[in-house]
Amino acid sequence: MNAAPRGSQTAPDGGEDRRALDFLAELSQALALSLDLRKTLAMALGHIADFMQAEAASMFLVDPVTRLIECRLCVGPVDIAGLKVELGQGIVGRAVAENLTQIVRDAQTDARVNVRVDAETGFITRSIICVPLTTAEGPIGAIEVINRRGGGLFELSDAILLETVAAPASLAINNARLANNLVEQQRIRRELELARRTQKSLLPKRRRGGFPLIGINMPAHEISGDFYDYFDLPDGRIAFLIGDISGKGLDAAFLMVRVASLMRWVGKEAPSPAQWLTRVNNELVDTMREGRFLCGLVGLYDRRDGSVVFASAGFPPALLHDGDRFEEFEAHGPPLGILPDMHFTESRLVLGEASLYFFSDGVTDARHKDRTRLGSDGVRDLIGKHITLAPEPRLRALIGELKHLDLPDDTTVLLLQEPRGELSQVLLDYRFPARAEEMRGVRARLRSALDDQGVTPELRDGLVLAVDEACTNVIRHAYCGGCDESISLRMTRERDMLAFELRDNAPAVDPGSIKDRDLGECRPGGLGVAFIRMLMDDWQLQPGSEGKGNVLRMRKRLQAGTLGDTE
Amino acid sequence: MNNECVSETLDDYVLVRLRGEVDLSWSQQVRKTILGALGATGKVGVEMSEVSYIDSSGIAALVEGLQNARSKGQQFGLVAVSKAVMAVLQLARLDRVFPIFADVDTARAS
Repeated sequence: MNAAPRGSQTAPDGGEDRRALDFLAELSQALALSLDLRKTLAMALGHIADFMQAEAASMFLVDPVTRLIECRLCVGPVDIAGLKVELGQGIVGRAVAENLTQIVRDAQTDARVNVRVDAETGFITRSIICVPLTTAEGPIGAIEVINRRGGGLFELSDAILLETVAAPASLAINNARLANNLVEQQRIRRELELARRTQKSLLPKRRRGGFPLIGINMPAHEISGDFYDYFDLPDGRIAFLIGDISGKGLDAAFLMVRVASLMRWVGKEAPSPAQWLTRVNNELVDTMREGRFLCGLVGLYDRRDGSVVFASAGFPPALLHDGDRFEEFEAHGPPLGILPDMHFTESRLVLGEASLYFFSDGVTDARHKDRTRLGSDGVRDLIGKHITLAPEPRLRALIGELKHLDLPDDTTVLLLQEPRGELSQVLLDYRFPARAEEMRGVRARLRSALDDQGVTPELRDGLVLAVDEACTNVIRHAYCGGCDESISLRMTRERDMLAFELRDNAPAVDPGSIKDRDLGECRPGGLGVAFIRMLMDDWQLQPGSEGKGNVLRMRKRLQAGTLGDTE
Repeated sequence: MNNECVSETLDDYVLVRLRGEVDLSWSQQVRKTILGALGATGKVGVEMSEVSYIDSSGIAALVEGLQNARSKGQQFGLVAVSKAVMAVLQLARLDRVFPIFADVDTARAS
């Protein structure tokens, strides 16, 4: 019998036992305290060779990827470091494959022994013991000793000694591997974060000063297969592009980097959007692999006449929002990178005051809690909800809404819109103690601010009365006559719409409890709310943010006749 | 223009002169003056030519005076109403509810 199951042999005699224990203690301690496991193991292997009185010793480890067993360390006359054997092949291969100690008493006649090394080196292998390095998850390698010094043969008791000293080595290597795995995971996480930042830096910087394009990209994972870009052309037009590499994750993200720069460089040559797509497509057909493709849209915008021309290759419909009207523009051809020599048509429009949205399908594919898709209608609702915001806060609000949904894919939005000037102009922002005595001063400020807007004196006085009534209602009812609280009054103008916002810190008032007065009835009281209703176009009372206080909003549209001659 | 509210007795007629901006901060004082005048005589007018602003609490004081007078068969009217006050009375559709006189003489003669 040449293969000895572990632990099946009788213990060696007492002297041998003592020697083994001393050596084991020394070895275990060296491995446990090691700061450099490879160096310590190399030293330990030398000590093991001496302890076993072997001419040579070697340590093999299984490569977790290739499953080949490779000699990582060796001592003795022949350097076999780097030698690789397959599982089950030769003495080492068997020890690992069977998780059993192998003893070869006479190597020259044992069929298991691989004689190739001897033939190549001139070394003569006579006797071998090989024990597996075992862990809870199975063997991770083996330690082999060759030829007893002085010419004797290895005995079964030597095999047990080697098994004993192999145990701490196995433990140390396994611990190091587990620690390495952790370090490796952290390294990968760090590199992904770095990749995310690098990728983000490839997207164009937000351009201030009323630049008409703005984009947002939100990766589903660390990195994205979506991208967008915009740049100035020498002829004064602005080129823009948005793309979505099929699939997601690392490989899509790597492709994105390459494809984004390809699209940019082709775009700089400034062909028409249709030609732009055709050229990118032909380049990608040669290089895209494994069924990958690109959905993309490219366009040119001329600020001088507001003309937009764009072409889409399998990209989700572009969405034009003009006033209350939405219009969709379907793709002009198939995705890029599939078939060569594709031709694309183009869409042309004059932007004017409209907004043109380009969404990657991650937006329409966003899912509600009940798993229904947001879809095109859902996107339109979201746009409508935030339409009063300027482009940048509007996109941020859209993304904020999308974040409440389940986003399975990378999500990217590019918005083309000319700035509409300062959308909302603050005419008055004033905070004052909630006291009736303050109202005279508040009215004076209001009158002056309204005069600055060229409002007729009649309308001015009516608006002052309405705001005054609203404030005194807060003073009388919300604060119950208290005087230590304050009221914030903010008057803004957005084009021809005046808006008045009144905030207080009083306990929330039930809007339903506010009664309008029937004017046919002649009695004191209740008149204030009637004034507000008659003088303003609309008003609403809402609880303040976080349920604290109340916010009263009143609006009045200025019509041609309500503006004085100054405007 | 400072706020002012004074009563002036002209024989059997009491004229309450209002000046300034009639609002919540002192409309209670206006109310008391009007009710006090109605307690002293049967014919009361409120002179408002120099009232540049009036809010609903000021209007309420006037309405209360009118109701009070009516219930006791007294006379109560508004005299020389400024443009600003008239706009608010019209808004509240009270311009036809109050007897309104161009000046004190007309008011006293009525």
